[in-house]
Amino acid sequence: MKKIVFILITLISLVSYSQQQLPNVKIKNLKGELVNTNFDFQKKDVLYVYAFWATWCAPCVQELDAISEVYGDWKQKINIELIAVSVDDSRTEKRVKPMVNGKDWEYTVLLDTNQEFKRSLSIANVPYTVVVKNNEIVYVQNGHSPGGESEFFEKLKSY
Amino acid sequence: MKKLLLLIAICSSISIFSQNTTKEVNTKGRFFGGLESNSQWYLNDVERGINHPDNPIRSNNYLLVNYNYGKWTAGIQAESYDPQPLLNFNPKYIKTNLGTYFLNYKTEKIDVTAGYFYEQFGSGLLLRSWEDRSLGINNAIRGGKIVLRPTENLSFTGLYGNQRTGFDVSKGTIYGFNSEINMSGILKMENSEFSLGFSYVGRDEKTNFENPNFKELTNSFAGRFNYSHQSFYINSEYNYKTDDAILYPITVSNTFVKPGSALLTNFGYSKKGFGLDVSLRRIENMNFLSERNPEVFSPEQTSLAFNDRMMNFVPSLTKQHHSNLANIYVFQAQKSVSIVSDNGIAKAGEIGGQIDFFYEFKKGSSLGGKYGTKIAINASNWFNLSGDYTLYPPDYKTDFLGTGKKYFSDYNLEISKKFNSNLQGSIVFINQFYDHQLIAASLNIQVNSYIIAPEISYKLTNTKSLRIAAEHMWADSDRKNWAAMMVEYNHNINWSFYVSDMYNYGFDKNSNLIDDVSDHFKIHFYNLGTAYTKGSTRIALSYGRQRGGLVCAGGICRFVPPSSGVTLSLTKSF
Repeated sequence: MKKIVFILITLISLVSYSQQQLPNVKIKNLKGELVNTNFDFQKKDVLYVYAFWATWCAPCVQELDAISEVYGDWKQKINIELIAVSVDDSRTEKRVKPMVNGKDWEYTVLLDTNQEFKRSLSIANVPYTVVVKNNEIVYVQNGHSPGGESEFFEKLKSY
Repeated sequence: MKKLLLLIAICSSISIFSQNTTKEVNTKGRFFGGLESNSQWYLNDVERGINHPDNPIRSNNYLLVNYNYGKWTAGIQAESYDPQPLLNFNPKYIKTNLGTYFLNYKTEKIDVTAGYFYEQFGSGLLLRSWEDRSLGINNAIRGGKIVLRPTENLSFTGLYGNQRTGFDVSKGTIYGFNSEINMSGILKMENSEFSLGFSYVGRDEKTNFENPNFKELTNSFAGRFNYSHQSFYINSEYNYKTDDAILYPITVSNTFVKPGSALLTNFGYSKKGFGLDVSLRRIENMNFLSERNPEVFSPEQTSLAFNDRMMNFVPSLTKQHHSNLANIYVFQAQKSVSIVSDNGIAKAGEIGGQIDFFYEFKKGSSLGGKYGTKIAINASNWFNLSGDYTLYPPDYKTDFLGTGKKYFSDYNLEISKKFNSNLQGSIVFINQFYDHQLIAASLNIQVNSYIIAPEISYKLTNTKSLRIAAEHMWADSDRKNWAAMMVEYNHNINWSFYVSDMYNYGFDKNSNLIDDVSDHFKIHFYNLGTAYTKGSTRIALSYGRQRGGLVCAGGICRFVPPSSGVTLSLTKSF
């Protein structure tokens, strides 16, 4: 028990320090082209929202569906680009394209099939969202609660 | 444990340091990584007759620390399973030690790694090294890897090394080469995408047979293509593994030597509001291990049970349901040859397919209503390979096309609908067939089940929401009927709470049971828990009962024994 308490304390001391930059990993987009996760998304003052998701993850799909409905409005109000990073492995990877098209999501979609990008950010569970502006991570959100997108939008507006 | 604490202490002091420097010098060196801790306090459960194991408090802990400076990145992963890992994790994870380490140099054209690395060729049917902590899989390769990208359209990978097993590496040496060629870029095709890929994987391991009927170096080859034009796409791959000794039953036989192969084809059509996807696959003798003979821990348990020293990834192509009851009779891909003369089971692989159909009834249409209605239909069927099987001496000759006895099928329909801005719901219907005898080469039990699972989520305020999910399963054998219910309350983005129960009430102790040892009565599997998240930190605490059975991620499963207790998990990245 002592060990657990110790880990907890150490962890809490770590909470305040977060990763500053996004790692640069080469993964494919839906067209099969290799994309740099960092270097290819570096336009000045654009809020890049990297949403890690999977076809089998119900809250992820729910979140991306919910954002999809208001994405047009958001884009008019803030300078934002959402990059939906699928962590589906080869079991479910083939479902990504029909699902994205079927749902008519207007996001940039990346395929992190062997979870290299996910691993480099030490992400344990999806949904997990990382917001990057001017090459610096400004906000991280772990998990999703139904209706959380309006709270999330308020956050985005503050950057 | 001390080592881990020391590492954490060092790391936390380093991260303070790194923050200062990164702020001042921007692109200079920086530290990043993560911490994950999964602990369980096993309790006695009088009703189930379960006594907690020795060392009732067990914990799996991972600390990954990377340092990046320009084109260079170095990293280590320390792991601690102290005093013992969680129940039924690979017994080769002992105490605290260094799990992986690497040094990487990366530019646009070249990417070189020394140390442990992860890699996947194509869909992984020949080679995939990856990590899944919930399953206890970390089969990173220790050696060297180089990736060359001379132009935007060409990528070549070469690698060499030994696969990780526990805190050690396997005896077999792995050689790999992979190429990816983007033909549409080379041919400047405007409206279509076309790419090719070729792979080679070799595994070299000494054998103790004096006159082996197979070569110590097993070669395997794969070719694949990917084509898409507007809304249509097709991709296919063929994999071949040269002659190698087959496990019979748990050690390789010098007289049972065969090649292996895998053929996978996938095609589909998708456009706005409509998606269709078809996958067909045939697998024969594709068990590919970095050591031919599994390690035997007890007569019933080998390293295969822990997915140890697996070189390739053969996931089951079935829908990954999030319904709990639909994960009781879960299919695992049948990649291996298994001939058991005692009960007459003879199988050499699997053949079958899966179809997915997505459709959205438009907003404003009679079925769509104000917000639209989405449906997803999925069907999968998997069979043994048809052919001539001989039980003794073990042998087979399969047909290329043709199905043998059915292993598993799953037909399901999911309808989801938003009713108003606060309320949305979904309902899932599932029919599964599961042949336990054929899949597990065990007792003669076949299960036919029907599941219905409605769910609603309701937004109470802007941040508070409630989710209620109910499930019922009717099964015609084994433990028969189940009912389940889950209520989840999200207080805000930081806090959430849930209670759930799964009740098995059709139990008949006189019938044949898949698990003929545990929980021989009508039983409730209750759980309650809470989670707190802030930034990248997540802390989850729960209490309850765990059903004995398979826990799966990505189509690969781990058996967990029945237990009761408290679970604490912490994750944090920095």
